[in-house]
Amino acid sequence: MKIDSGDTAWVLASAALVMLMTPALGFFYGGLVRRKNVLSTIMHSFFILCLISVQWVLWGYSLAFGPDKFHLIGGLEWIGLNNVGFTPNADYAPTIPHQAYMVFQMMFAVITPALISGAFAERQRFKAFVLFSLLWATFVYDPIAHWVWGAGGWLHNLGALDFAGGTVVHISSGVSALVAALVLGRRLGFGKEKSEPHDATMTILGACLLWFGWFGFNAGSAVTAGTLATSAFVVTNTATAMAALTWMTVSWYHKRQPSVLGAAAGAVAGLVAITPASGFVNVMGAIVIGFGAGVVCYLAIQLRERIHVDDALDVWAVHGIGGTWGALATGLFATVAINSGAANGLFYGNPKQVLIQLVAIGAAWGWSAVGTFAILKFVNLFVPLRVQEDEELLGLDISQHGEPAYAL
Amino acid sequence: MDATTVIAVISCAIVFCGWLVLPHSATTVKPLVVSEERVPVSVSA
Repeated sequence: MKIDSGDTAWVLASAALVMLMTPALGFFYGGLVRRKNVLSTIMHSFFILCLISVQWVLWGYSLAFGPDKFHLIGGLEWIGLNNVGFTPNADYAPTIPHQAYMVFQMMFAVITPALISGAFAERQRFKAFVLFSLLWATFVYDPIAHWVWGAGGWLHNLGALDFAGGTVVHISSGVSALVAALVLGRRLGFGKEKSEPHDATMTILGACLLWFGWFGFNAGSAVTAGTLATSAFVVTNTATAMAALTWMTVSWYHKRQPSVLGAAAGAVAGLVAITPASGFVNVMGAIVIGFGAGVVCYLAIQLRERIHVDDALDVWAVHGIGGTWGALATGLFATVAINSGAANGLFYGNPKQVLIQLVAIGAAWGWSAVGTFAILKFVNLFVPLRVQEDEELLGLDISQHGEPAYAL
Repeated sequence: MDATTVIAVISCAIVFCGWLVLPHSATTVKPLVVSEERVPVSVSA
């Protein structure tokens, strides 16, 4: 196998783009919380970037992508990056150094638990968060990544399509967020006092940086610098824009005002929904996926509010439901005209693909929910999940980190 | 045109035409009145 310098350059640049998404998420979330919790919210993302970077090279990559065991998990042969060198791996990316592929995948493993942190913002004890994140990455993310992307994984063998992580990243984090919100309970004053975003401009900036980084997320997943990456880039931008327009319009109709934060949330919903489909659908499919994301994710937030679940930053509605819609839509709109190595969807004569996608969606929902619940209960045996009431009232920036975000 | 294109066009039409019937101006919001001058804050250590 010969290393292609163009492909290698693109994948390394994409890894850097995806890396930027995690601090961008910190800003996106940070703007949405109250000013007494902004630093702790940003810290969740920054800390996970560090934690999973180490976990991934020690054992995470081996569990997710190592030699298959029973179609469920990777073996420990690649622990500490043993046997993961510069020779390309034919199963994953035959034209780039294996370590380039490893580090690209690392950034996906980093951002996924960071996404969950939006659900328990403003009330989770930092020590519990540390333990939860490490266990969740190991026992929830790594197995699902192996099922879908690992050579020999059972969903991979079944033919499930997930180009850049709709199932692996977004359904897993979104569903886990819902479980975490239910287990931790509501914030003090939830539903009684308004919890307004303390800095909408920070959130918009975070959304823009997420959009920018997502080009690496989706187009980088082609692991080549060619036509497939180009197509993924174009459909990513299209679906994102369409979702932002749709969300803004729906919220305008519903709340009588075109919400700026709504447009940003809509863009993120579109990015989420196009993720699994980005290497399989054409630009018309991307428009439909973006439109659907803007509608269903907005409705999911209304449902979440109605049932009084305190998923603080709507991770379930945007990532869980957006990822589910994207995974399902992949089964509807995928076409081999875009990716000859994949399969057609329902609208191109292959209804079976929808059933396969539903199996993958169900598996990701089930494992994420059960795994997250078990890990939270386990962590709670050693460390209380929530801060005490007076700490919550004081704010997590001071009570957990001893630092205020703003001097003024 | 294939089915995907038809659905995409309908989706765009819904959003774009929706703007025609949406309200021009939002609900009236009371303007914030700043009645006091801001007090300078010392930032020196």
